[in-house]
Amino acid sequence: MSATILVVDDEESIRKLYQLELMDEGYNVILAADGQEALQKVERENPDLVILDIRMPKVDGIEFLDRFAQTGKRLPIIINSAYTDYRMDITTWAAETYMVKSSDISDLKAEVKKLLAGKSSTFVNPKSI
Amino acid sequence: MSELRKDPIIGRWVIVAPERSARPKEIKQTQEERGKICVLCEGGESNTPPEILAFRNPGTEPNSPGWQVRVVPNKFPALKVEGELGKSGVGIFDMMNGVGAHEVIIESPSHELDFAFLPVEQIEKVLRAYKSRILDLANDRRFRYTLIFKNQGARAGASIAHPHSQLMALPITPKRLKEELIGAKAHFDYKERCIFCDIIRQERELKTRVISEMGNFITIAPYASRFPFEMWILPSQHHSDFMSVSDDDIAGLAQILKDSLLRLAKALSNPAFNYVIHTAPYRRPRRDYWTTIDEDYHWHIEIMPRVTTPAGFEWGTGFYINPTAPEDAAQYLREEEI
Repeated sequence: MSATILVVDDEESIRKLYQLELMDEGYNVILAADGQEALQKVERENPDLVILDIRMPKVDGIEFLDRFAQTGKRLPIIINSAYTDYRMDITTWAAETYMVKSSDISDLKAEVKKLLAGKSSTFVNPKSI
Repeated sequence: MSELRKDPIIGRWVIVAPERSARPKEIKQTQEERGKICVLCEGGESNTPPEILAFRNPGTEPNSPGWQVRVVPNKFPALKVEGELGKSGVGIFDMMNGVGAHEVIIESPSHELDFAFLPVEQIEKVLRAYKSRILDLANDRRFRYTLIFKNQGARAGASIAHPHSQLMALPITPKRLKEELIGAKAHFDYKERCIFCDIIRQERELKTRVISEMGNFITIAPYASRFPFEMWILPSQHHSDFMSVSDDDIAGLAQILKDSLLRLAKALSNPAFNYVIHTAPYRRPRRDYWTTIDEDYHWHIEIMPRVTTPAGFEWGTGFYINPTAPEDAAQYLREEEI
C-alpha cells in the first residue's frame, strides 16, 4: 500500500503542485490549508508523513508542531517554508527536516522518500515519558 | 534635558533622555513564551543532534538522561560546519561559503527555572561549557571568532523557555568586535593603557554607575548605555581572552552573573534580555593581525535588557535613544535586595 502524505500549505497553487508531483511518485496525497485543518486530517486520516508550511492563518506551522506533539503521536514532519529565519526557532527541532521552498521540488521528493524509508519520527515529548 | 553621550571605545553616540526616564515600575513587563513542547528537556535527548559535550552524572551514557549541562549542534544551523571557506569575489562583492559552527548550550535539564534562578553551581557549569567549546573550536583554523550569546524571553528572540544559550564560530571577526578592537587599540597606542581598565578605574572612583563588585569582577552600567538597565560584567584585572579565565574565576564569574541577572529580574519583573560574551578573536598568524590584543583588549559580558525597541531612528543613524540614565539604572539595580 502506498504511503499517505499530508501537504499543509495556505497557498492553493503550492498544494496542487505538490499533490500532482507526489501522486506521480505513487503516493496518496491529502491536503490542508492551515494547521487547524491539518490536525483534524492527522486525526482522521493517519498520514505517514507531513509536509508543513510555517506561515499560515489560524494555526501556523509552529503551533501545529506544538499541538501535534501534545497528542503523543509521532510522525515524520518536513518543514517546508519560504523563510529561513524559522531555523532559529528551536521549536522546529520537533520536525525531522527544515527545507526552504524551491520551484524545483526534487530535493523535497528525495527527502520524503528518505524519511518514509526510515519511517518513524525521532521526536519524543519528554512530558509523555 | 537630554544628553548626547559618546561611547569611549567605539565612538557610538547615545541619546540619554532623562526627561523620558522610565522608572523600573513603568517598564516592568510580563513575559510571554510561545509553545508548550520542549525539545531540550531531559528525557528528550533523541530530539537533538548527538551531544558534543555534556557534564553528566557518573555512569550515565551520552545522549541519555543524567546530565546537568549539554551542548549539541543546532539541528537547523545558520552556518554549517562542513566544507571549505571558498573565498571569492564577484565584481566588487566578496563572498564565501556559509561555513561555521552553530551550537546550543542547554543550561539545565528542566525548564522550570530561568537562568538567573539556577543554582550558582549550575551557572558555573554553563560557563565552563562556554570556555571548553571556545577552546575546542580554536583548533579549527577556518574560524576567527566564537560568539557566545543568550536570548531569554520572546522579545529577545528566544523561541522556547528552556534555559539555553547559543554559540556561533565564524570564519570572520564580526564588525561589532572589530570596532571594539580598533577603538581599544587606538586608546592603547595613544595612552599605553587598556581603555577597559581605564573605565573600571574611573567607575570605581565615581561609584555612580557601579552595580556590584564581587571577587575579581565588577558590574557597571556603561556610561553610554544603549538600552535601559544595560550592564557590563568585566574582570577587574586585565585579561583579553575568555579562554584564559581560571577555574577560580569561573566560579566568581558565575556568582556575579547570577547576582546581576537576579537584580535585573527583580527590578524589571524578569524582563527579556540578551547577553553576549565579547572576547578576543582567535589569533591566527597573519601579518599585522591584532598583534597587541593581549595588551589592549579586555573581555567582558554585555547584558542588554529588551525593554525598548530600536526603530527607524536607531536603524538610520546607528544612535540609540536610552530613556533611563545609566546612573539611575545602576542605583535601582544596586538597591535591589538579593
